[in-house]
Amino acid sequence: MSTVIQPYRQEHEPAVAEFNRRLRQGTADPNLVFPGRAIPRWLPYTGKSPVWNEFFVAVEEPFVRGAYGLKQEQILFRDKGMHQVACYHHSLSEGIIDKTYARVGASLVRDALARQPLLYVLGMGGFENPLPKMLKALGFSLTLVPFYFRIVHPRKFLFEMNALRSSRWRVLLMNLAAASGTGWLAIKTVQAAARLRSRPQDFVVEEVNEFSSWADDLWSAAKGTVSMAAVRDANTLQILYPKNDRFLTCVRVSRKSGPVGWAVVGERRKDVQKFGQMRVGSIVDCWASPEDMLPVVRGATQTLVKSGVDLIVSNQSHSAWGRALEDSGFLKGPSTFIFAASKKLTELLQPLEQNKTSLHVTRADGDGLPRNF
Amino acid sequence: MYEQVRSIVSDLLRIPADQISAASSPENIEAWDSVQHLNLVLALEEKFSLQLSPEEIDEMKTVGDIAHLVEGKLQVPPS
Repeated sequence: MSTVIQPYRQEHEPAVAEFNRRLRQGTADPNLVFPGRAIPRWLPYTGKSPVWNEFFVAVEEPFVRGAYGLKQEQILFRDKGMHQVACYHHSLSEGIIDKTYARVGASLVRDALARQPLLYVLGMGGFENPLPKMLKALGFSLTLVPFYFRIVHPRKFLFEMNALRSSRWRVLLMNLAAASGTGWLAIKTVQAAARLRSRPQDFVVEEVNEFSSWADDLWSAAKGTVSMAAVRDANTLQILYPKNDRFLTCVRVSRKSGPVGWAVVGERRKDVQKFGQMRVGSIVDCWASPEDMLPVVRGATQTLVKSGVDLIVSNQSHSAWGRALEDSGFLKGPSTFIFAASKKLTELLQPLEQNKTSLHVTRADGDGLPRNF
Repeated sequence: MYEQVRSIVSDLLRIPADQISAASSPENIEAWDSVQHLNLVLALEEKFSLQLSPEEIDEMKTVGDIAHLVEGKLQVPPS
């Protein structure tokens, strides 16, 4: 019986449900689930939208043995203009649970490349996982998107940060630092020192319901400062961050001259394995010219602190955003968030070594929504 | 062709060739996982100067299947 990779249609939904059931039975990872509906809930194709999702399934009648998604979008490249690019996401193969189907993963990624040679993949949880190894073999260029975090409540962080409480000694030391108050003092001192280094003046932070012409102006003003960015004009932002979104807050930052930048922030879904019972906020997306990044980070941080989060995280590939975060008390942590560009896409990023610190990649790119930000 | 494919599989998976048969597959060779399957595709493409489609990759279920597939592709002139 041969397998055919084809667009996901309504008639495949029962087989996808069965595929998900087998994956759930065979693995402990609840995230390994493919969307149950053929029409994407997030970014469905409308014929007019500049950004949309499409799904494909590998069908070995009557079973689905694998699936993936492509997020099609417009991306701007320095000196090379605008191109339609796709993000490869949600790739799932029956090979995860049954080695008989080890071949499916290779078929899926080859199929995606045939449909869209300008392809990228984001996230993947570290270089040791199968997908980044496969992408490397296929000639993708892989770079880590730096990870930053800011501790809002040090005591809770020391007690709950399970990702760091990995040995009995660490647990003991972190409990001691939390109970004695030395941990609180050390963390607050480091963060305050960083914030004092740079103090942006005279900026106003406001939550907004909608991106409109002011966002177009900001897109135009800052797009020359990046080597690559998915389009973030008002039309695209209205689709990515609709007015009725329950989980995300859009923040506009202005100076006397008018709006200078924006950020989108939100509270991540609980992840007990990594963060215990902490409430974790994320600076999901942001946009500004380098000279205005600092007030935007400060505004985003203030909004999240006010909402009561214990820890704030952000992934930012552009070095200027990294500096703005570090000057706002964020620390750089180990990243497992990989940006992988296909051979064709890498050609548009040349010279890569020079351009990779000015790529604008955030948690909002890829499949980072909803709530997996 | 079978011998050539067997040799490629042996080199890639670091298994003596005499332990590989036409029925060898990811099911009965521990080291043959999804990453190695892709590496095998790339090694075959390089060795025989051919391109395997997603559908053809899906037909590569055993060493025997692979030898049969590659042999067939080499006999058909590219369109």
